[in-house]
Amino acid sequence: MTSEIVTCKDPATGDICYRILHPSGLEIRVMEMPDFSTAYAQLGAKFGSVYRRFRMSDADAVTELPAGTAHFLEHKLFEKEDGDVAKKFARLGASDNAFTDYDRTVYYFRAQQNYYEALELLLEFVQQPYFTEESVTRERSIILQELMETLDDPADQGFLQLMEGMYHAYPLYPHILGTAESIQQITAETLTQSHRAFYNLHNMVLCCAGNVRVQEIFAVAERCLIPAPPMQANAVFPPEPAAPAASFCKCRMPIGKTQFSIGFKSRPTAGMQRLRDSLLASLTADLLIGSAAPLYRELLRVGLLNDTFDADCFAGDGWFTVLFEGESDQPETVLQALCDEIRRMQTDGVDEELFAVLKRAAYGGSIISMNNPEAACSAMLDAYIWDCDSPFARSALLAELTAEDVQQCLRERFCSEFACLSVIEPEISGKEETKL
Amino acid sequence: MPEIMIGNGIRYTEIYDPKFRSCLLTIQFHIPRNLESASVHALLPDLLTASSAEYPSVSAMTMQLESLYAADFIGNLSLCGDAAVLDFTASWLDDAFVMQGEPITMSVLSLVTGALLHPNSKQGAFCEPEFRICKQNLLDDIDCAQNDKRGYALRQAAALTFSGESAAIPVHGTRSEAERITPALAFSVWQNLLRTAEIEIAAVTPVPKPEISAHLMACFRDLPRQPYWIQFEVPSPMRAQICTETEIMPVGQTKLVLTYKYGAVKRETMLILCSILGWIADSLLFTNLRERCGLCYYCMLSNEAFKHTLFIDIGIDADNLEIVKDAVAAQIHALQDGDFTDDMMQKAVLYNAFQTAETSDTISGLAAQRLLQLRRGDQRSPNEIADAMRNVTREEISEAAKQLTLDTVFVLRAEQEEVGADDI
Repeated sequence: MTSEIVTCKDPATGDICYRILHPSGLEIRVMEMPDFSTAYAQLGAKFGSVYRRFRMSDADAVTELPAGTAHFLEHKLFEKEDGDVAKKFARLGASDNAFTDYDRTVYYFRAQQNYYEALELLLEFVQQPYFTEESVTRERSIILQELMETLDDPADQGFLQLMEGMYHAYPLYPHILGTAESIQQITAETLTQSHRAFYNLHNMVLCCAGNVRVQEIFAVAERCLIPAPPMQANAVFPPEPAAPAASFCKCRMPIGKTQFSIGFKSRPTAGMQRLRDSLLASLTADLLIGSAAPLYRELLRVGLLNDTFDADCFAGDGWFTVLFEGESDQPETVLQALCDEIRRMQTDGVDEELFAVLKRAAYGGSIISMNNPEAACSAMLDAYIWDCDSPFARSALLAELTAEDVQQCLRERFCSEFACLSVIEPEISGKEETKL
Repeated sequence: MPEIMIGNGIRYTEIYDPKFRSCLLTIQFHIPRNLESASVHALLPDLLTASSAEYPSVSAMTMQLESLYAADFIGNLSLCGDAAVLDFTASWLDDAFVMQGEPITMSVLSLVTGALLHPNSKQGAFCEPEFRICKQNLLDDIDCAQNDKRGYALRQAAALTFSGESAAIPVHGTRSEAERITPALAFSVWQNLLRTAEIEIAAVTPVPKPEISAHLMACFRDLPRQPYWIQFEVPSPMRAQICTETEIMPVGQTKLVLTYKYGAVKRETMLILCSILGWIADSLLFTNLRERCGLCYYCMLSNEAFKHTLFIDIGIDADNLEIVKDAVAAQIHALQDGDFTDDMMQKAVLYNAFQTAETSDTISGLAAQRLLQLRRGDQRSPNEIADAMRNVTREEISEAAKQLTLDTVFVLRAEQEEVGADDI
């Protein structure tokens, strides 16, 4: 078997990312960071909670998965016929775990010693599922407890309510974990079917960073990877209207102060364009109401916001939303002030000094954020999931952004008619919901 | 790792590590706790980092930090036994990586020392509206203490476990005390801390930067100082009867917190014990409560070492409350009886060695680790600590486990347990 090694270099730091397309189908990305004493590995699959429907390339029928299948699969993959694989990692002094997100499932470990033995273990256990109905049944009760915890978390519920308000059909809700009902529907057969469809090495990436050597990683890959047939499962997503499903939604929970989330829905993009768009949207949000912006201080001064306020860009394979979250007794007034500021900036133009400062800050942040093995590993995996070759693209994209780009972003991604406000009000007991 | 005294009760430690591309400066004030001052102490981190005389608003301060390539300046108050640590930390891109080549280290240092020594104040009081904004943030924090149910249950358990001791005081104090804080009172408390608190400073940089110690020395040298020293390790006394309390809340999941106190146990012995009980992948709690019985998703163990107290917190179905309590007790008994394997001992040593290594791979972890060692009065090298860990015996673990005495059982009980699909 032969593999081509491609390198990309960060012009700001000199960091090198090696990319190997292994003949098995797996893409491998490595950053050697020899000054660090620890190392990370992440093995990720493009299979997250939004992948609920798929069609195999040799079939017409669409297969539907119960909500929460990706997360359930993540839990169950650790169990093997001879016990929990985590015990084997512990014996090597490595610490392993996994997480499921909307667009990915990632298995990882961290180690100071025995790294390559732990890497073999990672590759083997993810490729070789072992599911029994008995163990699936036992896991169900654990996942239901995990779900109960998220139901009590106001931040989780506020976000979920916003997604339900924003999206008519796109499966950004229910929760990544599924629902109490859908979790009951997941069987060993569901997990086997999902693993076969999505844990194909052509749909996966291995990222390694820290005190590692690319040649040794390649040697482990040669020993452990089982060549996969071409990827045959294609995700099927429902058509999603441009406008949100609701402009306002509300519920009550036992919390101390009203919490809100505001989302501006806009057209999804893909690949490098999505990365550029999300950087631009985040920068635009900071110009509008980031902690250096005059509006932020004014809303603090009049008591409409507190220091929990934050803005973010939430985008993926088929969705794009700019988010604002915080606490306020008058969330509708905050939304109105934000919409007024969007219009003012469209009329008066962008504060050029603040724009330059925020670009400089984003540059500094991008260098600092890559300065440890875990962050470097995550950056490489993020880039793969978003179909970007290089984990270092951010600095160059940021440098090219102009005030005119911001104006275009305001027009396309901050439309008040595509906004939704999700509110959670304090309540001592009971729950109720309102959707307009 | 040079250490120098740069003032009366002010120690400065420098750590160089070329793998980092940023610099970090942490200034810690060791402070005593009482109910009257808890809220004002909790206000200070926000108040002193949001603005300063030179940058008199949150916008001006943020603008300056952002212009320094996203430099960060944050304050934090953390409980540490019966005392607290008021921590101000700045981190910034190393001068070698700035775009135009202009050094920024001195600008960050000036911002930090300016904020602490020349705060946004006038005639002996912090200025409005920044004071009012920060005070409202604190009041909101106090009001929202129950938002995070798990954290809330842990804090309630701590209040019961340490009842009558300073460690029982909530980190943000009480709402009534917070409401009473005036700009003048906050300023006076801060000036008093500058005069009396023991101050530990640590800087981590990729290359030696003598300008940091020179600048700090120039700023702190002439500060009028009458420092007092704080004893951090104050074991919580054992009580005659187990304290049991239940609070009902309209939540889906019941939270159970159990606290155990212990006497004199070597630090390394307690770390290995905790690893076997709850930290390693096949720990007694994880294996038996979650994997074998499916009773919970999380079952966490934490060690409040300065108070000689363990906290075990678990999210459960209320119907399983008694089963879970018995299951936890059974794991403690297993430790006492030596019912754990040599393999688990070995994994515990490896686990702790990795934790130490991982901490030294982040700039903030490296500084925090060093400052914590100084607070403990522990001058050993990482290798010496690792050796001590390897030398812990099974007998020492069992003997230490026999000291574990159940102190408090706190239950945050769900009002209703059933959840239908409509609620999700």
